[in-house]
Amino acid sequence: MLIMKPGISIYFISYLLISIVSDPLFSQDKTIISPYISLQYFKNSDDHRYLQTTLTYSLNRMEIPLSGTEISFYSGPAGKDLLGTALTNEKGIAAFDLSESISLTKNSDGLWVFSSDFAGNDTIETVRSEISIRDVKLEMILSQVDTIRTISLKAFTSRNSKEIPVSEEVIMIYIPRMFSLLPVGEAYLDENGTASLEFPSDLPGDSEGNLTIISKFEEHPAFGNVEVKVVKNWGLPASNSAPVAHRALWTKTAPRWMIITLSVLLTGVWGHYLFAIISLIRIKRESKKQKKP
Amino acid sequence: MKQKEQNLSDKSSRRNFLKNLGAGVGAVTLAGVGGTAAITAGKEAKSGKKIKLLSPDGKLVEVDKDDIKPAEKSVKELKAEAKTGLPGHKFIMVIDLAKCKNARKCVEACQEGHMLPKDHEWIKLYLLQDDKNTAKYWFPRPCFHCDKPMCVSVCPVGATYKRDDGIVLVDNQRCIGCKFCMTGCPYSARVFNWKDPEIKLPEGHVYDPETNIPPVEGTVGKCVFCADNLRKNILPRCVTACPMGVIYFGDLLEDTVTNGEETVRFSKLMLDRAGYRYREELGTLPSVFYLPPNQRMFPVESGLDGYEEEIKGRYKDDELR
Amino acid sequence: MEANRKLLRDLTPELEKTSTGWYITFIVLLVFFLVGIYALVQQIDKGHIVTGMRDNVVWGFYIVNFIFFMGLSYSGALISGVLHLFNTGWRRPVIRLAELITVISLVIGPFFIFFCIGRLDRLYFLFTHPRIQSPITWDVIAISTDLIGCFIYLYLSFIEDFAILRDYEDLNVAPWKRKLYKILSLGYNGTPIQARLLSRARTIMSSMIIAIAIIVYSVLAWIFGVTLQPGWHSTIFGPYFVIAAVFSGTGLLIILMWVFRKVYRLEEYITKRHFVNVGVLLTIIAAFYGYFTFSDYLTKWYGSIKMDSILIDKLFSEYYALFIFANYIGILIPGIIIALPRFRTIPNITIAAVIAVLALWVNRYIIVIPTLETPFLPIQDVRDAWIKYSPTWIEWSLTLAGVSIFIMLFMLISKIAPIISISEMQEKDKEEILK
Repeated sequence: MLIMKPGISIYFISYLLISIVSDPLFSQDKTIISPYISLQYFKNSDDHRYLQTTLTYSLNRMEIPLSGTEISFYSGPAGKDLLGTALTNEKGIAAFDLSESISLTKNSDGLWVFSSDFAGNDTIETVRSEISIRDVKLEMILSQVDTIRTISLKAFTSRNSKEIPVSEEVIMIYIPRMFSLLPVGEAYLDENGTASLEFPSDLPGDSEGNLTIISKFEEHPAFGNVEVKVVKNWGLPASNSAPVAHRALWTKTAPRWMIITLSVLLTGVWGHYLFAIISLIRIKRESKKQKKP
Repeated sequence: MKQKEQNLSDKSSRRNFLKNLGAGVGAVTLAGVGGTAAITAGKEAKSGKKIKLLSPDGKLVEVDKDDIKPAEKSVKELKAEAKTGLPGHKFIMVIDLAKCKNARKCVEACQEGHMLPKDHEWIKLYLLQDDKNTAKYWFPRPCFHCDKPMCVSVCPVGATYKRDDGIVLVDNQRCIGCKFCMTGCPYSARVFNWKDPEIKLPEGHVYDPETNIPPVEGTVGKCVFCADNLRKNILPRCVTACPMGVIYFGDLLEDTVTNGEETVRFSKLMLDRAGYRYREELGTLPSVFYLPPNQRMFPVESGLDGYEEEIKGRYKDDELR
Repeated sequence: MEANRKLLRDLTPELEKTSTGWYITFIVLLVFFLVGIYALVQQIDKGHIVTGMRDNVVWGFYIVNFIFFMGLSYSGALISGVLHLFNTGWRRPVIRLAELITVISLVIGPFFIFFCIGRLDRLYFLFTHPRIQSPITWDVIAISTDLIGCFIYLYLSFIEDFAILRDYEDLNVAPWKRKLYKILSLGYNGTPIQARLLSRARTIMSSMIIAIAIIVYSVLAWIFGVTLQPGWHSTIFGPYFVIAAVFSGTGLLIILMWVFRKVYRLEEYITKRHFVNVGVLLTIIAAFYGYFTFSDYLTKWYGSIKMDSILIDKLFSEYYALFIFANYIGILIPGIIIALPRFRTIPNITIAAVIAVLALWVNRYIIVIPTLETPFLPIQDVRDAWIKYSPTWIEWSLTLAGVSIFIMLFMLISKIAPIISISEMQEKDKEEILK
């Protein structure tokens, strides 16, 4: 009974094979996306701290953002205490505000350990990123002697209420512009954690000459992104260097001489036309006068 | 519901109703949303920020900020905005000819962003050679948004105009298609819609000269320095699309230009790289500057690789001028 | 009003009856005209893509025809205007013809601009939202003014004839025509007051016409002259266009003199003397036209400005045949024919005029299209239609339709008013009696 006829067995086996191959679960070549996650720490001028995660994946050598995905943020000595979650926006960036999480515990080295991960689903793999941040204080003092303007910087970390200067690090100075930040200088912190540099005097500011000056640690492996922002009247007042001429060929109102010439010519010519038409009317009136008697 | 109807039928109550509505609108304006607002019942991700508003029946409600969207502006309002522009700016562009290798991503991004048909190129790539003894170079040419625009001077109906921030726009609802501006422009920067482009418009689309969508049959189109993007502090599409970072865009009054990755002082760039304008002697005072093509790291001919005949065949002419 | 019986007998038969030949010619021309209308409908429906114009050569046949027809309108300005001021007697038989050419070509010319406009539904913007700084606005104002002025002038010259026809009892025409003459003659009876009014109005209008004609054509020239394009940015364009217009207008006048003389049997009135005189005018103007052309191209060729050199190269290679025809043959042949007494016969002079008029059309083509084909930034394209302009059947048929309607309008008007002004001929008789 178990020995089936060859024909039937071939038929049976091929049926089995076809059903297996055509099974969607088996045959579909599912591309599991392997995403890339990055975690950044930010501290702003007013001591506002937040974490930012970017989730992307690469396709044909292009970075495609993953939006609408839930990212979980953690802190704590091992970076395992859940702080909360956030969804990535259309650029694949999710941000988490740290200001409410006042009690961020540091690890034994005095560092905050933050991590963010994506839990993963059936199309995207799970990923995790971890950073260790040391809280650094950055101070910027703007001073002016005669015409020389100086930016003085000081950076230090505190441990056991003692100030430890941060040395041999680069601080970038920027001016925010319409689309991006304009770099205006670079400072190198000496062994005392201080640096100073001259501020250029020919930068245009707003209409009154105000400038926003930003000095920051940029994507530092230990400090994250720390910035200090000050608004100062150290710029040149900006004026519209190419004012649109009030009356030109390309403006709404024409140059005066054009309007005058045109009016004079037109009045002259149409005046003569009027004269001719009046003559015609008078000819008609003449003929009527003749008919009367 | 019933009480509301009773109120409405009473004249004084109607006045009250309208007064509350007005107060509601006023409160919304004060809340900083600006202009008339429409509340949408969206199900998208909410930022969690709440705003207090006065509802039409006089109640104080809390609405999530993301649910509030500005109401559609009318064509008239959009056109008035387009005419004023962004005061206090003077937009300029710098194109680095040393880096351009005819990737044509700028052309594609522009065509996509403004829903252009394939044969309309608002930014066009030329292969130029001033003389047979000088080097060939790729030359991207957007509209130059001249400070003394010939095209604006010759338009008989005022369909094209220059605004205070330097941008020259075309009003496709005013243009009569006489094409005088096309003969007026010495840089061949304008294109004409010879036939119906047959573009499928998104729903509720309102005409805005700053995006200039869609191209209108029988009228003229040209690069608009992505004025719609500038309003949102976003760079023009060609700038971000260029893989080589060839195009820099910025504000002359801020003395800054950026190509999305690199931000530099415009005056310094001009000084260091000896920037110039194309055919300065024509005196139209373009807003686009060029950096000479020196110290290139790739051969010019590599710009022809990988394209179909329709593109390659353009540059076969012996006389590239 | 009374008139010489002989004049009336000779010049009115055409108003009374129409020959079969007239009908056949009219119908053939009407067919051409209707084909043109069909072509126009196609263009409006499918868009300007059906023409040969593309992004570089944005102005093609239509603009060439526009300039050409506007140029023809100069015959009136010259004959009626200038010669009126010099009080030349021999011009009297051809005055009406010249004025008719002026008005009809002024009516037809602007239509060619309309064909070139992308959005005909917005044409009225030219009047509701004009920009004074634009040469096209100057053109709109100038052409409107010229059109009204020439109409008034034409009507002024018709009044006396209408009065004569109204009083000619033996005139065997349909009653509606009689009524028309009565209304249009404005009750003119040749009384001293009326005669004085009429003559003053005509003198004033004739001097206006000369001034307007120069302004119109200069404005038309400046549409090209003020742009930066190589070949167009020439200071001579204003006077150049004016002279070319007078040239074409005079040429057309000779052609029409010949046609109407033959068809309406007016050999007695339009004699060889007229042909020779207008022909001499043609030669003098040809000399001026040749001088301006030579001056323009010599300056361009001698200097080494790159764009000028590229344009001149193009004219002497691609457009060689057309260039030679327009600027050499078109000037020299008419000049030689009329200058040498041996060649001065009526048929020869007419042939010279035909060559002149055709050469002027080609001259306009040579001015407009080669410049558009050599822009500052080279045309880098693979599509032939975008590199070199080649007109399509739509443009050809609309051109033919324009010529047809021109002739048709002439034919129609010749049935309402005599093609030689009766009142003018009477003046001439009076002058000769006085002598």
